[in-house]
Amino acid sequence: MVSFSERLTVAPDVLFRLVGDEGVLLNLNTTLYLGLNPVGTRMWNALTSASSIQAAYDALLGEYEVEPAQLRADLEEFIQRLLGQKLIVAGPAIEASHEPA
Amino acid sequence: MSGVNDLLETAANGSSSFEGGGASRYRYGVYGMVISSDTPLDLPPDTHAGVARVECVSAPAAAFLAATDGCGDDADADSWYRYIVLRDGSTYVRWRTIGEFLVAGDGRRIMFRRFDRASRESFQVYLLGQALSFALVRQGFEPLHATAVVVDRHAVAFLGSNAFGKSSLAACFLEAGSRLLTDDLLILGESRNRILAYPGPPRLKLFPKIARRFLGQDVTKRVHMNPDTDKLILPIEEHRRHGRPVALDAIYALAAPRDACRTPYVRVENLSPREAFLELLKGTFNRRLTNPPRLKRQFGFTTRLTDLVAVKRLTYPRAIDRLPEVREAVRADLARDARPALNIQPGFLD
Repeated sequence: MVSFSERLTVAPDVLFRLVGDEGVLLNLNTTLYLGLNPVGTRMWNALTSASSIQAAYDALLGEYEVEPAQLRADLEEFIQRLLGQKLIVAGPAIEASHEPA
Repeated sequence: MSGVNDLLETAANGSSSFEGGGASRYRYGVYGMVISSDTPLDLPPDTHAGVARVECVSAPAAAFLAATDGCGDDADADSWYRYIVLRDGSTYVRWRTIGEFLVAGDGRRIMFRRFDRASRESFQVYLLGQALSFALVRQGFEPLHATAVVVDRHAVAFLGSNAFGKSSLAACFLEAGSRLLTDDLLILGESRNRILAYPGPPRLKLFPKIARRFLGQDVTKRVHMNPDTDKLILPIEEHRRHGRPVALDAIYALAAPRDACRTPYVRVENLSPREAFLELLKGTFNRRLTNPPRLKRQFGFTTRLTDLVAVKRLTYPRAIDRLPEVREAVRADLARDARPALNIQPGFLD
C-alpha cells in the first residue's frame, strides 16, 4: 500500500479524457480502456493533480459529505485498482515551495 | 519475405503477373474514398476526389506465398481466418474459402486473390469490408461496425457485432421508405462540427426470410455470404439507397442477442458519455490493429464522436414481427430528441 505522503502521477502511455463529467482512460501498453463515473473522475483529478495523496484526501474531504474513515478506505481501494492496472505511479510528494524572505 | 509494396514495385518493373497498366482501369467511389481496381467491382463510379484513395490489384498465389514465406504459425494454415503482420508493416489476411489479401502498411494498396470456390459477390464483401478496414485504419480512419439508414435526411446508425441484427433492422427501415447508407462498415468524418456518415457498397446481407418480408425480394438466385451461413448478399436498388455523405444524427448500440432475448419490450436508453464512449469503442470494425498511434487516434476519435453524436442503447425482443415496432420506437426517439450540443475541439482526423 502506498503512503498518503506520496504523490501519484499518470503513468507514461496512459491517456485520460473527460467526456461530459466522466473520465475515460486508455493504457497504451495493455490496450485497456476504462471509464470512471463522476466520483471516480473527481478522485482521479484530485489524486493526479495534488502534491500528495494526503492533499488530495484533504481536498475531497472538504467537498463530499463523507466520514473520514470511509473516504480513506474508498481512496485506498481506488488507488490500489489504479496501481493494479498500471494507470498511475507513486513517487515522492512535491515539497511546498518556500517563498524568499 | 516481401510486403505488398515490394511486390507491387516488382510489378511496376515488369513482372508479367502485375503488368498491363490495368491497376487503375476501374475507379469507384465508396466510403468517401476513391477505389481504383484492375478488376470490376460492384460499386458506383467515383464522382468526386474522395477523402482518401485505395488501389486494389489482383495477384497470383505465388505473390502471397512469397509475401508470407516463413511468417505466421503453420497451425493456422488451415483455419477459417488467418492474419499475419509482416515485417514491413503490411497485413496479410485470408478467409479459407473466400480469398487472400495483402494490405500495404500505409493502407494505400490492397493486393487480392479470389479463391475458386468463392463467388464474385461474396469475395467483394470481404474485400470491401474486412480487408478494406485494414487499409482504412492504416490511412487514419476509424471504421465502426454499424449499418446506417437515412431517415428524414439524417443518418441513423445501428452499432453492434455480428448477429446483433443491424442489417435486419435496416431492412425494416427500407420497407418504410428510408434509404440504405451503408451495411456493416461505417466511415465517419467531421465537417463544421458535424459528423458526416459516408455511403458504403449498395448491398445488404440478410437472412432469406428478412429479405422476403421487408424487401420483397426473390431470394432464390441470391448468393450466400460464405459457405457457412444462410445470409444472402442482396443488391439494393438505386431508389432504396443514399449515395452521398449525410450528417449523422444518432447511433443506436444494439443489445447483444442474449440480452435482447430476455426482454419483452422495446427500449431506448440514453447513454452517459462514458457509457457511450465504451460502446463506441466496442463497436470498432477492426480490433486487430492495436499499435499505440492507432489507439491514440481511436481514443481521440471516440471522445470527439461522443461529444457530437447522441449514442443510445436499443434493446428489443429478437422477433421479426416486432421489428416494425422497433422502427417506430427509433423514429419517435429521433423526433423528440434535440440535436446534441456541439463542442469546439480539434478534429479527430487531424
